[in-house]
Amino acid sequence: MQEQVGTLVREDPRPAKPAAGSRARQVARAAMGRWSLRSVALLYLGLMVALPTAAVVIRGFGGGLAALKEALDAPGAHQALMLSVGLAALTAVINAVLGTVVAYVLVRYRFVGRGVLSTLVDIPFAVPTLVTGVMLVALYGPNSLVGGFFIDHGFQIIFARPGILLALLFVTLPLVVRTVQPVLHQLDLAEEEAARVLGASRWVTFRKVVLPHLRSAVVAGGLLSFARAIGEYGAVVILSGNLLNKTLTAPVFIYQLISDFKPDAAAAVATLLFGLSFTLVLVTERLTRGRPA
Amino acid sequence: MFRLRTRHTAIALSLLALLTAACSASSATSTSATGSTGSCMPGDNPVVTLAGYSNVYDAYGKLTASSGTFVGDWKNAHNGQSVIFQASYGGSTTQAQNVVNGFPADIVALSLDPDVQLIQVAGLITHDWQSGRDHGYVGTSVVVFEVRPGNPKHIENWDDLAQPGLQILTPDPAQSGGARWNIVAAYGAAMRGEVPGYQANDPADAQRLLEGIFSNVSVMDKSANDSLKNFQAGNGDVAITYEYAALAAQKSGDENEMVIPASTVAIQTPVAVVDKNAESHCVKDIADAFVEYLHSDEAKGIFDTVGFERPVDLEAAQAGQGVESTFAPITDLFTTDDIGGWDELTDTTVFGPDGAFTKAQAAAQG
Amino acid sequence: MSTQGELRPARLSAPTRKRLVHGGLIAVALVYVGTLVLAPLVGITWAATRAGWHTWSATFADPTARHAYVLTGVITLVTVVVTAILGVVVALVLSRDLFPGRGLLSAVADLPIAISPVIVGLMAVLLFGTGGWFESWFSARGIRILFAVPSIAIVTLFICIPFVIREVTPILQELGTEEEQAAKTLGATSLQTFFRVTLPNIRWGLLYGIALSTARAIGEVGAVVVVSGLIAGQTETATLFILRAFDQFHDETGYVVALTLAMVSIVLLAGIEIFKHREEKELSR
Repeated sequence: MQEQVGTLVREDPRPAKPAAGSRARQVARAAMGRWSLRSVALLYLGLMVALPTAAVVIRGFGGGLAALKEALDAPGAHQALMLSVGLAALTAVINAVLGTVVAYVLVRYRFVGRGVLSTLVDIPFAVPTLVTGVMLVALYGPNSLVGGFFIDHGFQIIFARPGILLALLFVTLPLVVRTVQPVLHQLDLAEEEAARVLGASRWVTFRKVVLPHLRSAVVAGGLLSFARAIGEYGAVVILSGNLLNKTLTAPVFIYQLISDFKPDAAAAVATLLFGLSFTLVLVTERLTRGRPA
Repeated sequence: MFRLRTRHTAIALSLLALLTAACSASSATSTSATGSTGSCMPGDNPVVTLAGYSNVYDAYGKLTASSGTFVGDWKNAHNGQSVIFQASYGGSTTQAQNVVNGFPADIVALSLDPDVQLIQVAGLITHDWQSGRDHGYVGTSVVVFEVRPGNPKHIENWDDLAQPGLQILTPDPAQSGGARWNIVAAYGAAMRGEVPGYQANDPADAQRLLEGIFSNVSVMDKSANDSLKNFQAGNGDVAITYEYAALAAQKSGDENEMVIPASTVAIQTPVAVVDKNAESHCVKDIADAFVEYLHSDEAKGIFDTVGFERPVDLEAAQAGQGVESTFAPITDLFTTDDIGGWDELTDTTVFGPDGAFTKAQAAAQG
Repeated sequence: MSTQGELRPARLSAPTRKRLVHGGLIAVALVYVGTLVLAPLVGITWAATRAGWHTWSATFADPTARHAYVLTGVITLVTVVVTAILGVVVALVLSRDLFPGRGLLSAVADLPIAISPVIVGLMAVLLFGTGGWFESWFSARGIRILFAVPSIAIVTLFICIPFVIREVTPILQELGTEEEQAAKTLGATSLQTFFRVTLPNIRWGLLYGIALSTARAIGEVGAVVVVSGLIAGQTETATLFILRAFDQFHDETGYVVALTLAMVSIVLLAGIEIFKHREEKELSR
């Protein structure tokens, strides 16, 4: 940083401005600067985020709890919400376990293909969600090599739950891996080695020494996956099939309600969905920010 | 390590952003010129916006093509004025509601009269669109069943759809015009006594048929296309769909089979100019001319060969004598007028509060 | 370690077991990520190349396809610039300015991540649609928001807001204000301090956030499908074009455009990896 600061230093080492009276002006200017920054930030987030969110929540709760309940009784609402919750939970659990394995492998081992593995894990961050769905259709759809094989054996992937699960696992993969990885990095290997020397098996060492440190990160990653999976639209819509109870997820259902011109019902389901995932994201923030630097 | 010329880059980027935002905003508002009531200046490239229902993109794509007859003839007759068509396709009722809510369509090509009436009631259509040529219809299709190769469930008529355990795909009536055609077809066939096991002119029996059918429906597809794609992907035992969608699918290699029930409804699809929008976009004359063109022989030929639609003339449609192609003849082809007309069907007999479908759906879901 | 072989009933020697376990875990990781991520990439490459050269050239000649790419590009550019600039402002406020309600502001900045994009579309409909809070103001001035490009920009902006903020704020918090204060005492103005001291420090985090926003903006579909009106050649983004292609049974065209977007995002991914790597190095300094 020396270079940047250095360019501001003049020959004369004395401060450029005279002291005393202008100090007050400087403070005032700093305060004004702070206030104007703050107002910009408040205006930006207030107008762009808080206001639209309020619009949905107010519409959803507008008629009171009774109206909310009535809107949720719209045909298909319960099923869609339950399906989304169920699939998201399954996604979170699978990715919590396997994502931790991937993170562990990336941190602790050196092997051929490690760099490729790491890059593959980040791909879901970069690829558009709709393209994810399209890729799955290309791989498992009725006209593809792989898909034809599965359908012939009576196992349907696209337009059925396995396809949706694959899509959700794809988009949430990096969430667990990238949450757990930094924590693993920072773990002191000495603890583990001590345990091994004292005779603990590999699994016991992992369970009693490593896992407690990882727990909050794994849970945070899992919750984040859940929140993300419950709201996923782009990857799901193209392979959904809209079968109630089987493949009609909540976000696709909300889209149907909007197309049906039922904004109240849509807002009600949306408020529920959003409330759930926002709470989870907040909890996740708490869990990840709590870790030691 | 590179050093960002941060200040200059930031200023440049902000200017660029402002410029782009201004350009895209102005292009958006200029191509969808709204609100300005003043004298219409004929532009060189007037834009006409078409809102269509989900299936007819191929036919309208050809009819509105910049290399097509209409655009070419208009250009020659109007000093080189090059008309540009922009189209949006979706579920018929969704499209109609969108137009009512502000979608700037100059022409609507929808799948049934009530959807156009929605727009008329909202004040956007001010002329009597049904008094024009062919009552505003540009083609005829019929409701058919799409089944698996070999028809393993032996689905031949409407009563076969009510067999327990069958999985039926049909779109959601609130979004798709096609769904309502399907329901009206079943209702009409039962009322006309063409369905074995169901008495003619017996609303209770018609309701029973609908209830049986809809106990087997558990999808909420947003359009007839979605139902067909769903079916092609392996879901369901039968999809109730339009004949031309099934024919188009067959043409692109679909191996599923199409079954035409003995009695089915003639799907008559209307086209109308949305007067208010066309006037405020200064394209009313073009829109009127285009709708006129849709009733021409050449357009009818395109609807036939590209859109797989039967002719507007009902006798020819029933016999299967298309403008260019041949279709399978139909034993009993009826129209909505034959069973009471859309108003009665929508308000009372089928979709009304005590209508056959309303009650059947409630019973099937309860 | 060597005592282990004697403590346990010897089935396999310890090093072999260790290798098995290691190998097993690596295999699980590779198979999982390979099946989940690599296989679909292969699948779409196969499907898109199978479409044949004529489909590729037809798609690129198609004016609606070109317009879709341009629209996506413009929306992405506007979104990224706005969220980057204002995101840095918010990050400064969140990390430096201690005022009551700062926690709330931070939570609000995180909101868009938790909201399904379809709900974002619903928000726009509730605000700008018939009977919406702002509808009369805009229609009185003849400005169309819904079923036109402005609505696409607004929803994409909403969705991309958190990225830069979330990446830059922790960096600013870690760095503290010492360097800025040093610059101030040496006579720099606030603006100079920002551009010469702060900005270079947050450089990699900012770029990482920008790369994430870009990827997200390009891929946005759930909100846009609700608000855009789907007018081909006017309000159809690249992702909407893909949706329509599949809807209209033109699967091959859909694969072509999808693979194009996938390739763009792979390039972005390279940027993401580099920027993230640099950001981590900075943070651990």
